[in-house]
Amino acid sequence: MTAAISIRDAKLRFGHTQALDSVTLDVAPRDCFGLVGESGSGKTTLMRVILGLERLQSGSIRLFDAPLKSGSAGIAQRTRLVQAIFQDPAASLSPRRRIGQLLDEVGEVLGEARDSIRARQAALFQRLGLPPGTVDKYPYQISGGQARRVAVARALLMNPRILIADEPTAGLDVSVQGDLLNLLQELRADRDLTLVVVSHNLAVVRLIADAAAVMHRGRIVEQGPAAQVFDGPAADYTKRLLASWPRLRWHALGSNLE
Amino acid sequence: MDVYLPILRDIWRSPTGRIGLVLVILILLFAILGPVFSVAPNKIAVQDRFQGPSLQHLLGTDNLGRDLFSRTAQGTRAALAISLIVVALSLLIGAIIGVAAGMAGGWIDRGVIVLFDIISAYPAVILAMGLIALYGVGFTNLLLVVTLLFIPQFGRMARAQTLSLRHQPFIDAERVLGLPMAKLVWRHFLPNVLGPLIVLASMNVPVVITIEAGLSFIGLGVQPPQASLGSLIRDGYVFLNQSWWPTIGSAITLALATLGSTLFGEALRDAADPKLRGRHK
Repeated sequence: MTAAISIRDAKLRFGHTQALDSVTLDVAPRDCFGLVGESGSGKTTLMRVILGLERLQSGSIRLFDAPLKSGSAGIAQRTRLVQAIFQDPAASLSPRRRIGQLLDEVGEVLGEARDSIRARQAALFQRLGLPPGTVDKYPYQISGGQARRVAVARALLMNPRILIADEPTAGLDVSVQGDLLNLLQELRADRDLTLVVVSHNLAVVRLIADAAAVMHRGRIVEQGPAAQVFDGPAADYTKRLLASWPRLRWHALGSNLE
Repeated sequence: MDVYLPILRDIWRSPTGRIGLVLVILILLFAILGPVFSVAPNKIAVQDRFQGPSLQHLLGTDNLGRDLFSRTAQGTRAALAISLIVVALSLLIGAIIGVAAGMAGGWIDRGVIVLFDIISAYPAVILAMGLIALYGVGFTNLLLVVTLLFIPQFGRMARAQTLSLRHQPFIDAERVLGLPMAKLVWRHFLPNVLGPLIVLASMNVPVVITIEAGLSFIGLGVQPPQASLGSLIRDGYVFLNQSWWPTIGSAITLALATLGSTLFGEALRDAADPKLRGRHK
């Protein structure tokens, strides 16, 4: 079976920091893949590499078996394959444009008629629980939770085959976290999406991921089915990471998931 | 237009912004309409020297009997014209150099920064005096020298904006969306680079007005018989023991012009920041 994302021996160095060190990773299509690790472990860098925002110094990356170009051509090539929800969704919306103008850009990129893109956008807004009037607002006029939903809507309007969510629950209260995770799971099933959840929150990943990888200092120290990684970890680092996570929070979040 | 109306509304809602806006409009009207309603500013009538204000001479007359209302209006017009031209030119040149340096990086960037540092290392008025002494007095030289002094400020800000914007999450998000580079620069780069530059420009208008007045005061700025606020103050100062009218009109006009444009610039700075917008309800 062709992997949705296939990374081989990826290396990337920023100054004295080895951000990615011989990363090899496979994500199966339609899986929910969890990428966990502490802050600074290289999770976000790996996501930026997949999106084409960072250039690998060595190694290769393929999406659905297509070799990818680097630079601007690589980004254009990826845009219909992979989209992302960034860590700070409010900051990922251009501050001087209305939400509606930002979403219309998707139509421009896809070459889709304005009526058609707006109809799809209205349907998505309803699904995501966003008031229709949101399109007339500026990013600074909406809440953090709404900004995240707008970011989800924009990413999904592109009809990507892979959606990467960087810390999708950061800064949201527990009940909203549950809602958002449920929603991402539903959308994944409806649209045959491959979902990659990048998070330092082990509870989130354990609850929704089919497979997971643990990153530490730019390396993947462990990867496999989520149940195996979380319930029978082989690597010492994974054991320490799991031991450091307070038990209570698994349940607090779990009670909000269906 | 929907971007600019809320900015004007916010300036009007701020108490100091309202004073600034009114003063700027009054000074503009004075500079534009003043000469229309007055006699020739350079007409000498020695028999009428050192008159106080009257219906015929609203601000009195100077040592040569010239009408001070006309001369002050002419000086205000010169001050505004010079400051607007200087600020627009230095903004344009500074923005081009700054954005180019920020995008290029490497040795081009470092070279531009060293050049800016050299210009900024000298006190503005001292450098202006030196350059004008070298190249001679005159309107064009005055414009060029003062423009040169202000380019580094705009260049530095344009460069800093470009560098910080390149790594903003919303620029990354637009790139991932696949927006073509030209649209990315036009829609998402330029409005965010230009905003702070326009605010800096409005804050620099009063500074240029005072530099022009200062240079004219010491005889290196606008040349007689053309009036300038600086030269009017100096002429009045020489004859202060005979009449204080020649000084007072131009001095108050200079004070109001700088105060008005400073208050307006500060209100514009606050209003142009989308995060602070709507603060004055």
